[in-house]
Amino acid sequence: MTLLAVLQVVILILIVAGSVLAVWLKDLLASVIALGASSLLLALQFYLLQAPDVAIAEAGVGAALTTAIFVLAIRKTQRKEEE
Amino acid sequence: MRRWGVVVTFLIVAGCLLLGAARMRPFGAPRYDLMDRYFNAFSQREAATNNVVTAIVFDYRGYDTLGEATVLFTAVIGVALVLRRLTR
Amino acid sequence: MSVVVKTIARILVPVILVFGGYVILHGHLTPGGGFQGGAVAASAVALLLVAFGAPAVKRLKAPFSVLEDLGGIAFVVLAFLGLGFTFFANSLAGMGGLFGAPVPTGPNAGILNSGGTVPLMNWAVGFKVLGGLGAVMVLFGLFGGDDDR
Repeated sequence: MTLLAVLQVVILILIVAGSVLAVWLKDLLASVIALGASSLLLALQFYLLQAPDVAIAEAGVGAALTTAIFVLAIRKTQRKEEE
Repeated sequence: MRRWGVVVTFLIVAGCLLLGAARMRPFGAPRYDLMDRYFNAFSQREAATNNVVTAIVFDYRGYDTLGEATVLFTAVIGVALVLRRLTR
Repeated sequence: MSVVVKTIARILVPVILVFGGYVILHGHLTPGGGFQGGAVAASAVALLLVAFGAPAVKRLKAPFSVLEDLGGIAFVVLAFLGLGFTFFANSLAGMGGLFGAPVPTGPNAGILNSGGTVPLMNWAVGFKVLGGLGAVMVLFGLFGGDDDR
């Protein structure tokens, strides 16, 4: 197994961990940050798979715009998730 | 009861995904690559573009980009229609 | 937001806008294109909105809407330019003049003045995406009044 394959497997595991964290956390701002980190790692994975166009689109839309819109929505509503 | 439903659904979905991943072709070797070779050979001559992806998006498959632009326009119109009365 | 976020945003917003313009301008030479560059430039608007609140970007709502419409119209007009052959035909490629330089086949460093209608469509779609996503975010920011916490 080459170094690149190991790096890709590590990034995929981190993506899954970030997504699980985004569902599991009760503080919605931290959850949004976890989702943005997962999206940024997905952009890195796209770059490693030789798709830089998709990587730029994913980093711009997924990591920046979605996070900003969620942060705005949390600012308008409430921060803690209700049980 | 509900927990078992969640576990069974998870196992079915994960099994289907793993089954699909097991039969995947190796990276960089698709089953049909005739159009790939055509784009790589002719995009610089026909569209005068070094970036083959942009040549496909804006020249060969321009209709798809028009549809994507229409989708974005419709989304903006929907958001404006819903939120216009509510903004101050 | 705090003063740290405001200072960092004041420094970063021009940099993000320049990078978005670079991605759009070199869309036919390097990875990227109209949609990607427009999304990168719209993230600068998102940063402004998160850092400074909705009143700072309130007067950008009408220009963004106009920019979205103009980008869409320019895209369709550029598509109609190739109607002598087919819809969406690249009628300016290799004809000389604006973006008309011929491109040698094979690996090369790239000529900025090439591509025909592709760079113009890049700019049209880039402004369209910037206007659309920016208008959506400004509308979201203005929703329900401003309560900056």
